Amino acid sequence: MPDVPHNAGYMAAAYILTAVILLAYTISLYRRSDRR
Amino acid sequence: MSLVHKGRAITLVGLALLAVDYVRALAFTPIERLQGPAQKIFYLHVPAAIWTEAAMVLVGLAGIGYLFLRDPRLDRFAAASAEVGTVFAAIVLTTGPIWGKPIWGTWWTWDARLTSTLFLFFLYVGYLLLRGAVVDPGLRARYAAVLGICGMFLVPFIHMSVYLFRTLHPQPIILKPSAPSLPGSMLATWLFSLGVFSLLYIGFVTQRYALSLDPTVESERTAGHA
Amino acid sequence: MRELVRQAWTVAQKDLLLELRTRTAIVSAVVFTALVLTVFNFGRDPTAVATIDLAPTILWVTFTFAAMLTLNRAFQLELENQALEGLLVSPLSRTSLYWGKLIANLLFVAVVEAVGLPLFVLFFNVPVSHVLVPLVGVIALATLGFVAVGTLFSALVIRTRFAELLLVVILLPFLLPPLIGAVQATARLLDGRPLSESVGYLKLLAAYDITFVSLATLLFRYTVDE
Repeated sequence: MPDVPHNAGYMAAAYILTAVILLAYTISLYRRSDRR
Repeated sequence: MSLVHKGRAITLVGLALLAVDYVRALAFTPIERLQGPAQKIFYLHVPAAIWTEAAMVLVGLAGIGYLFLRDPRLDRFAAASAEVGTVFAAIVLTTGPIWGKPIWGTWWTWDARLTSTLFLFFLYVGYLLLRGAVVDPGLRARYAAVLGICGMFLVPFIHMSVYLFRTLHPQPIILKPSAPSLPGSMLATWLFSLGVFSLLYIGFVTQRYALSLDPTVESERTAGHA
Repeated sequence: MRELVRQAWTVAQKDLLLELRTRTAIVSAVVFTALVLTVFNFGRDPTAVATIDLAPTILWVTFTFAAMLTLNRAFQLELENQALEGLLVSPLSRTSLYWGKLIANLLFVAVVEAVGLPLFVLFFNVPVSHVLVPLVGVIALATLGFVAVGTLFSALVIRTRFAELLLVVILLPFLLPPLIGAVQATARLLDGRPLSESVGYLKLLAAYDITFVSLATLLFRYTVDE
């Protein structure tokens, strides 16, 4: 049986990027409502 | 508790559960044999794609509601859903290539999900730009409703054209990233992930909606429109 | 029904007469088409890629650009002289106003395509006489789709600042499904394949036309009325 591919780096990148996008949007919403 | 705070609370719970989701997906879900760890991107990519599309349908439905009822709350909701939909589209369009590169060998593949999400992204951008370009709030709500409804009706055509193109142009399929039947543990993780993204959608839309309510904001001073 | 058709034709005639007097839009679009076709010729290496492979794309990109140019003028005329208000207080129904605009725009684009197609055949040496009738059919179906949505959207952008640019941006996602259908059907036709192979794409075009012409007819009144 062939070896499982070693591509955890891509996995990490995608997970980090998703978290960054979601956190950035969360922060954006906070700051926009805090300007009140 | 004001709407802003409710929204923030929901979002925070969502983010906390996202962390749980991450741990579950990364540490407690088996690695797929053929694709390796990169396959786990699927748990984020697919729920985000589902909500990208659902958000557009909701924009359209809110548009129909607005044209019939003229309730500005529907228009505010549409604006919120469009913005959140765009954020989710961004997630799909970034995780997609990161998944595609190790699996298919190229950053971009014109696969059904990625292509459809790209279309949706263009729809969202156009919708938000139109909203930004119309000054009068009542006019903006009406025009946005028209565009939103058309966008919603475009969704089945997006699927149809992508499907036709792909079935009549078979690409070499080495692996099937979205296996129709997932083994139990993977399915559970996927469902949990979908739940987290749903919660995040609700939290984000609530906050964005609340933003459009504030009377001290310049553009909200007239007649309660978004 | 007869009244509707009569009113629509009145509106269309007005636009056609105006255009015939100045001829600016049609002339610009025709010149533009010739230019684009010329550019495409210099943009490729005829020894590397067979014309017939690129031909459908070249044809349709050209037609799409030309259609968008003509659409831009759809409401500009009225806006310039506040004639739009005049049209709206007249006893014309909103539906006939839309249909009149649609007919006029279709005729304009048809003229541009009628010039563009022979030029295309000439410049790229693509034999079309054996499939002329189905080809014209495909062109008609796709054009109806573009122009139906484009006419509706031109009403949305008239009062905005970068109207021409905004029109293109919001229209683009709506052009993709009919464009896919048109290019694929055209490719098969030029390739000498039987019409039955394009059935899926033809259905796509027909369904698109029915959906969006109806939708635009229904929604048009919201672009001009309170």
